[in-house]
Amino acid sequence: MNERNERIHGVACTFRKVSDVFHAAEKVRDAGWKNWDVHTPFPIHGMDQAMGLPRSPVPRLTLLGGVTGFITGCLLTWYMNSYDYPLIVGGKPYWSVIFPFPVLYECTILFAAFGTFFGQFIFNRLPRHNHPLFELPNFARVSDDTFMIVLEARDPQFHVDESRNFLQSLGGQEITVIRD
Amino acid sequence: MSTSSPHALTAHWKKFLAVGVVALAVVWYFAFAGVQHHDNRQALSVLVGSLFWVAVLIGMLMLTMITRVFDAGWAPLIRRNWELLIAGLPVVILIGIVPLAFLPDFRHAVWYWTDGSHILPSGHEVGHDPILLAKSWFLNESFFLVRIALYVGVFGLLVALLRRWSFAQDTDRTAGHTHRLHAVSAVGIPLGAVTLTMLAFDCLMALSYHWFSTMYGVWFFALSIRLALAVTVILTYKLSNGGWLDGLLNQAHRHVLGCLMLAFTVFWAYISFSQYFLIYTANIPEETFWYNIREFDPVTNLKNEWWGVSMYLIFGFFFLPFLSLLFYRTKIVAGRLLTVAWIILVGGIVDLWFNAIPRQVYEKSAPEGFVVTPFLTSSLFLDLLAIVGFGGIVFALFLRGASRQETIPVHDPRILESINYHE
Repeated sequence: MNERNERIHGVACTFRKVSDVFHAAEKVRDAGWKNWDVHTPFPIHGMDQAMGLPRSPVPRLTLLGGVTGFITGCLLTWYMNSYDYPLIVGGKPYWSVIFPFPVLYECTILFAAFGTFFGQFIFNRLPRHNHPLFELPNFARVSDDTFMIVLEARDPQFHVDESRNFLQSLGGQEITVIRD
Repeated sequence: MSTSSPHALTAHWKKFLAVGVVALAVVWYFAFAGVQHHDNRQALSVLVGSLFWVAVLIGMLMLTMITRVFDAGWAPLIRRNWELLIAGLPVVILIGIVPLAFLPDFRHAVWYWTDGSHILPSGHEVGHDPILLAKSWFLNESFFLVRIALYVGVFGLLVALLRRWSFAQDTDRTAGHTHRLHAVSAVGIPLGAVTLTMLAFDCLMALSYHWFSTMYGVWFFALSIRLALAVTVILTYKLSNGGWLDGLLNQAHRHVLGCLMLAFTVFWAYISFSQYFLIYTANIPEETFWYNIREFDPVTNLKNEWWGVSMYLIFGFFFLPFLSLLFYRTKIVAGRLLTVAWIILVGGIVDLWFNAIPRQVYEKSAPEGFVVTPFLTSSLFLDLLAIVGFGGIVFALFLRGASRQETIPVHDPRILESINYHE
């Protein structure tokens, strides 16, 4: 076993029933784990609360993007129509908030969409082309009929043997140590 | 009739009826007195009061049909309250708009295009106005009265069908009623959309018959849904504290209502602004005068009271609810959602004032031949009294209906999904 294989990503275990994985997740949450995840073939309603996940921070970047877009639109139309090349169109003022409103509005939407799209890339740590879990022989089954809880090594509470025992006490099966 | 304690509320229906009858008696008394003195402002109170509830109930009617068509899983628990409330829609039109339209004195006072001797700002009489003559295929008194009668008929029919089969399901437990209501709603949505558009044209847009906006019906629809959702949030909050929704209304129901309030707040702003923006850009006098009298005093050319009202609509009726509702917690914390619902309710009244009250009043000495109806008058209290009056009738009918029908659609195929609704 060479040095590279000594690095441990975490410990995984599987469950066969929704209720089992749901209650196990609540116990992991209550034990104070921060770096861990649940993998399921379909969304389980209430899993966010069972895992103690906070609301996604992406909407904040959406708002930030929207406000940026509105200001950008204001500057764009003001600079072009009122500052760099003052031009009267249709008897309207050089600049007001009304006549370029479609521009301001579209810039708001566009930048808000940028905020959302790139925000989820940032918070999901994308792009990422591989993951240690993909090496796990039974990982494909979590897109079919199996549920999985993974405790990650970067969590301060992590210790290989204790974490294995903890997963065992939760009723997890096929407990596996995942190596990077 | 159920005997469980949450239904103790329904015993109050007579109090609501009494409040409604007394308030409407006072409003109609002042409206009669005003019309005798050639003052139409008090008659407009009847129009504003009835249109407020017409808007609320049309919104609920459309929401009832939309949730039916989309098989909304969250809806049945809340929709039953809409089904109980919309019984008031034909009634409010009958006791509010129908008398205004069918009594000649009121008709002439409110819709001055029906009064041939009314003097326009140009100094000419309405009867000789070429613009009215060109529109007379639509704007003539007999067709107008037929249309008003049709509004009672079409809305009455939709309300009757939607209620009948939904209530029938409570006793005969047949899923076929859900399919039947699905079909009624699919036909009813376009029918209701055309009818509410015509109602907005006839009751509000025709108040200044020179002016025209093809977006007016959509604006009225957006306002209706906003008001309907605001009343729904306030009512369901009340009913979940000692009413029949006690222990049933959950965070996810508030969340879905809050999301809809946000969506229709944006939609209302989009429509209202687009209407303004197109008229501003085209800059045609036939259209711009409608906004000009809502901004400038024609005598002094300074901003008038209506400019303040329009600023309230932008900041108080759009930005305040919009920015509040962007936040997730506003939509799930009951007290916050309730506050936003009240802000939307108040804003809806102001929006009706903005659309119904300002008009050009002939004044020979003024430079442009007219002055604008002021905003701040004691008649605003009469408007509010009219809203209380028609509201009393609507809620008396609601509570009486609730004492006779199930207040939870117990055999709706989706009732469990609705009660256990989650985000």
